[in-house]
Amino acid sequence: MKKYFRVFAAIFKASAISDLEYRLNFIVKIGTDLIWYGTQVAIFEVLFHHTRSISGWTIESTRVFMAVLFLVDALWMMLFSESLERMSDKVRRGDLDLLLVKPISSQFMMSVQKMSPAYVANVFLILGWLIWALNQLPDFSAWSRLPLLIITIPCALIITYALRFFFSATALIFTRAENITYVWHQVYRLATRPDTIYPPWLRYTVLTFLPLGFVGSVPARLILETPDTVLLSACVFVAVVCLYASHRYWNFALRFYSSASS
Amino acid sequence: MTIWSAIITSTGQESFGGFPRDSYITYALWAAFFGRVGANWMYEFRMIEEIESGSINSILVRPISFYEYYLSQFMGYKLATTLFSFAVPIVATLFIDSPTIHSRLPLAVAVQILYLILVHTMSFTVATLSFFLTRVHGFTVAKNIALTLLTGELFPLDLVPEPFRSWILWLPFSNSVFVPVGYLTGRLGIEDVARGILSILIGLAFFGAIAAASWRAGCRRYSGTGA
Amino acid sequence: MLMKPNYSSENVIETDGLTRIFLTYKKGEGLWNSIRGFWNREYLRKVALQPTTLKIQGGQIIGLVGANGAGKTTLLKLLSGLIHPSGGDARVLGYRPWERKPEFLRKISILLGQKNQLWWDIPPADSYDLLARIYDLDEAEARRRVNELAELLQCRELLHVQLRRLSLGERMKMEIIGSLLHRPSVLFLDEPTIGLDIVAQTNIREFLSEYVKRERPTIILTSHYMDDISLLADRLLLISKGAIVYDGTVPDFMNSVEQMQRLTATLAQPPSEARELAPGLILDPGTEVFTAELPASQIAPTLQKLMALSPLKDLKIEEADFEDVIRKFLEKESRLRASGGPIAT
Repeated sequence: MKKYFRVFAAIFKASAISDLEYRLNFIVKIGTDLIWYGTQVAIFEVLFHHTRSISGWTIESTRVFMAVLFLVDALWMMLFSESLERMSDKVRRGDLDLLLVKPISSQFMMSVQKMSPAYVANVFLILGWLIWALNQLPDFSAWSRLPLLIITIPCALIITYALRFFFSATALIFTRAENITYVWHQVYRLATRPDTIYPPWLRYTVLTFLPLGFVGSVPARLILETPDTVLLSACVFVAVVCLYASHRYWNFALRFYSSASS
Repeated sequence: MTIWSAIITSTGQESFGGFPRDSYITYALWAAFFGRVGANWMYEFRMIEEIESGSINSILVRPISFYEYYLSQFMGYKLATTLFSFAVPIVATLFIDSPTIHSRLPLAVAVQILYLILVHTMSFTVATLSFFLTRVHGFTVAKNIALTLLTGELFPLDLVPEPFRSWILWLPFSNSVFVPVGYLTGRLGIEDVARGILSILIGLAFFGAIAAASWRAGCRRYSGTGA
Repeated sequence: MLMKPNYSSENVIETDGLTRIFLTYKKGEGLWNSIRGFWNREYLRKVALQPTTLKIQGGQIIGLVGANGAGKTTLLKLLSGLIHPSGGDARVLGYRPWERKPEFLRKISILLGQKNQLWWDIPPADSYDLLARIYDLDEAEARRRVNELAELLQCRELLHVQLRRLSLGERMKMEIIGSLLHRPSVLFLDEPTIGLDIVAQTNIREFLSEYVKRERPTIILTSHYMDDISLLADRLLLISKGAIVYDGTVPDFMNSVEQMQRLTATLAQPPSEARELAPGLILDPGTEVFTAELPASQIAPTLQKLMALSPLKDLKIEEADFEDVIRKFLEKESRLRASGGPIAT
């Protein structure tokens, strides 16, 4: 375990050096995500301009939802996004071979081989937005439940990771998988709306088979609503299951890889 | 689309932003297709690649300009995909009772096609940046994300509160989705389309001037370094 | 220094009937066949490695030579654990490679000449720091090791330059340091000199030779440059169509194959009629420059006959080099194997 932290730290440092190397790219990266956050905020700000509530969400609570969602997203972009996006490329070019002969988990190395510390700027901006959004709420009880984020945000991150990893690891089985990123972005959109606005069948889906509801909605509801231990344990449980499943799937895909590659 | 049905079921209001509820579902359906057609990813990436890798040389020596060469490819591709992809909403809106005015479809598509020339010009402008900068791909992503908002793909732009509404509507980007779809679904009249066409022409002049300047400067630099 | 391998001492690598078969599907031409192939695929079995039994002693450099697609890389990937065999078994340092046990991976290293394991955008020194953590090496010790290897490769001043700013040869040196950092006892080198200029090739060859003397690792080396093999390898494995067709030392190989020599003679008085110099070797009338490729044993008799006919203005006898011999040998093998003929081992 300690070794993995040390490797993680070394990759983070190396990624920071390489991020700083390309200054313009650094700024464009951060800017692109801020624009995306902006569009999401704009949707809800405009809609709530015409109505007080949508499926029980008010503009104030939706702002908290978005803050949590963006926080997970920014951490995701910083830690895993680039590695997983490049994964199918790496597999195709045969770079996976060099990772497989190292005495360290190949899933781990594939998942963190290139981080983007540049996004730390966005993490801080979003933390500011979260504090502002919490201040806009009619009562202050949410503040007392804020420490729950220490549990729910890592869980949300793990769930996002595992789902995305599932898509990327599929590249090992079908060696050509250019559209996987596109499909992922379409699926991920399910996370970007509060779960209660979905029709029952879809809401059930995002809380079970495709647990994207745990990325933003559940952590946000856990701090907005009265304490719910069932929901909290579900969050942790789903994260553990997802992580374990991703590990099993990787081993399955690897068997495929090493018996099919030349 | 889920968000619109959620608004409809949860707000309990007859209309939203002054329009009946079912017009939003129809808007979202058409917007998804107009938005897809109006966005340029592939050819913008290709133009950037050509300049970055230097393979542009093989086009520079042909008797056709780089702009026209890719404009013809882009328009050809878009016309083909437009025909195919529009079959879905056309059939859907014919069978489902929806506030689509089908007789307005030709003009709506015509506006979209005119707008595509502007899309290509903007892509060309981004691509010329590759003469000066590395890794321009990031701009494409940022630009296209911003455009989903400014075109009206995400929601009808008339919901935007003033004064932003007037600003956005005078930008040419609304001609990608909001103007044609709004016209098609009865939100907008012919005068809005006329204003849209005017804004496209102004946009073309604006981006055309930038593109031309950037292209000339880029070519000078390119041949200067002999890359 | 070059001796026949002695199988009695401890073997580092042992394989027993190791086999690898690939299934590829036959792709029909045209759209219709492609559509049909989507559901109903006809698979082709391609034997990448025929049952191979090998014993490799510690501390040797094994040169693995064969044409493209002969099975070199397959053997290398099997022994380093990257792919699973279709049959047979193998032990490397006592481990089954494809189980990829961490203890095993810590003791081996693989260098692929066409791939980078170091980071592109950062200096090699930072990449080594990362590798040291992956291999659980002591940091100070790892740094000493890097400096020592860089000294040997004469590239200390490049350790803090970003990898992408280095030349191909310099990058290869850096990759070599990276793969030797953890003192592997078995080293797989796949084309370590590919694409390098002569000077860089020589540098790397000299380094490897020096390194082997110092640390006695076992090295499996593939290369398209026969100089790499003839100067470094203690033992030569020739591989053709998935089978080992020669196993022995380089000098033995050169002796075992009947040496051909090229004879070029310029005659002062070209003959007026045809003469037979040796069975099947005819000297045509009017020939001024006579050239023939002959087995070494035939050179002297042929020369005698020539000189009896005419005084010589010029004479040249050239040895065929290692590369020529290997090429001819593999061509012959490949023909024999294609026609189902005998297999030389």
